[in-house]
Amino acid sequence: MPVYSFYIFDRHAECIYKRRWLPRPTSIAGKPSRATDAQAGSTGLGQTVKAGDDDAKLVFGTVFSLRNMVRKLGGEEDNFVSFTTSQYKLHYYETPTNIKFVMLTDLKSPSMRIALQQIYINLFVEYVVKNPLSPVEHPGGVGVNNELFEESLEQFVTRVLA
Amino acid sequence: MAAPPRHVSMLSISNSNTGAPQSASSDKPQTPQPSPSPQPTSGLRVPSNRKTIYDRHLNRSRNAELSRASFAYLFAEMVTYAQRRVTGIQDLEKRLNEQGYPLGLRLLDLLFYRSTSTSSSALSSSSTSSSPPNRPLRILPLLHLIHGPLWRLLFQRSADALEHSVSPDTPNEYMITDNDPLVNTYISVPREMNMLNCAAFIAGIIEGVCDGCGFEAKVSAHNQPTEMWPSRTVFLLRFGDSVMEREKVLERNGVK
Amino acid sequence: MSATKASRIGEETRIDKVNAELVTLTYGTIVAQLCQDYDNDYQEVNKQLEKMGYNIGMRLIEDFLAKSGVGRCANFRETADMIAKVGFKIFLNVAPTVTNWASDNNQFSLIFEDNPLADFVELPDDGRAQDELWFSNILCGVLRGALEMVNFASPFPVQMQIEAHFVSDVLRGDDTTEMRVSLVRYIEDEMPPEEE
Repeated sequence: MPVYSFYIFDRHAECIYKRRWLPRPTSIAGKPSRATDAQAGSTGLGQTVKAGDDDAKLVFGTVFSLRNMVRKLGGEEDNFVSFTTSQYKLHYYETPTNIKFVMLTDLKSPSMRIALQQIYINLFVEYVVKNPLSPVEHPGGVGVNNELFEESLEQFVTRVLA
Repeated sequence: MAAPPRHVSMLSISNSNTGAPQSASSDKPQTPQPSPSPQPTSGLRVPSNRKTIYDRHLNRSRNAELSRASFAYLFAEMVTYAQRRVTGIQDLEKRLNEQGYPLGLRLLDLLFYRSTSTSSSALSSSSTSSSPPNRPLRILPLLHLIHGPLWRLLFQRSADALEHSVSPDTPNEYMITDNDPLVNTYISVPREMNMLNCAAFIAGIIEGVCDGCGFEAKVSAHNQPTEMWPSRTVFLLRFGDSVMEREKVLERNGVK
Repeated sequence: MSATKASRIGEETRIDKVNAELVTLTYGTIVAQLCQDYDNDYQEVNKQLEKMGYNIGMRLIEDFLAKSGVGRCANFRETADMIAKVGFKIFLNVAPTVTNWASDNNQFSLIFEDNPLADFVELPDDGRAQDELWFSNILCGVLRGALEMVNFASPFPVQMQIEAHFVSDVLRGDDTTEMRVSLVRYIEDEMPPEEE
């Protein structure tokens, strides 16, 4: 199943990691000038977060509001899990430490909640959190885009989720 | 090769903690005491319930295990702390090596202690009744001690290879290989630091063990990745000239 | 969550292990290095250890939540049990006793029967270390860092600011090793930065 993109936001509401695999559906592709970014093949390893990339901000604003709304309506135990548009499905997982994982996939995709949790437990914690050369926090995404994390994420998405 | 001054000073620090007045200057007296004395002779206060190191058996933690993550976090802080105080990769490795060095000295004591008191009857024996520790006199037994018992004590398995330099110019060089060093498990070295190997800490431990046995040596850690073992590390041991000369004498005299 | 349930999670959580002595001795060299770097200014060493612990706590909490799979705590009492019976159990293989609650439920003590960090340790006999150095002070920082990161249940998630310090240590000749933990305040969730 195609995975379009993936984001991590830290507890300071900053996008600390962003990755695209396939051209995003046009509805969220942003300004036409950015279309080249979205080409498959331009998403090599090491693509870091660019400040001012507004799609990350939009995604954050959306999931932040949705998550708060869900809790307000459904109680604190309720969770916002995903939403679907006519073009894509957005999956959401939040850790108790307020790190937010977001994945955009095609519409036929089953729930990615477990997958996002796996990315958190097996990739993020192991290769970013425990890496002595990564800082404790990641302003500007520093330390997240390391080789072990990126390669294992690539494998996970292309082999496990494919 | 002249004895590096660092070692001399490190040694004196570590040895001083047995009671010299200035012993507190730089090192925790953690060194396990091979023959526990019933009372600390110092001016230290002790708990009335006698929870002191003298009242606990040294083998108590022998088979104890702790979370690997706890080690990873401590190690991470050690690296971070070292990074704050250094100027480059070499400097960082040197500092990690220095942090490992005293550990090597202590682990050596622990290894000897345990290799001599395997039976429970030896638990409270004084130093007079236990057999002398089996200290290696030649390079090869020392290397086997590192490759086997030391690695097992630290990592619960032996090292993966032990080799002698094939070059006739460097007969004093030996290599111990670890395919997947524990300390590098979580480390992803950025490209701009690709020479860095944080296993310099382990190299320091090895150096401490060598020095503790009376084998002056320089030990360094080098990345030698293979397809299968991306964090494969070779520890290069370079023994000093004095060691090599002694080796020849011992060889002539048939000491094994 | 009940204290017994917390102990069960602490017992059952699967964790990768290493030799305990490697951890103990590594911690020992860290403290020794600090004593050396700060010329045996033990107050400063305490401070540095706490700072290191804080950094560790921020990392460790992620691991803790990922491995234990525990959810949010309902209140500070539950948090205390979680720290003692799950956190310390997983990371140090000990389960300190939670006791001496303050009447407002915002302060408690952890009593350590065992402390693997201090195995093999005797403080320097310099007439000062036993009065000034808290050898295991890193643990105070770990708690502070960890709890600051974790959400606390409420209509909206908040984090906790706590303060922890040792009040006694067998290494100082005390009969127990006791850490006092106080809840300082709750921290609100950070909002996304204002749009320009």
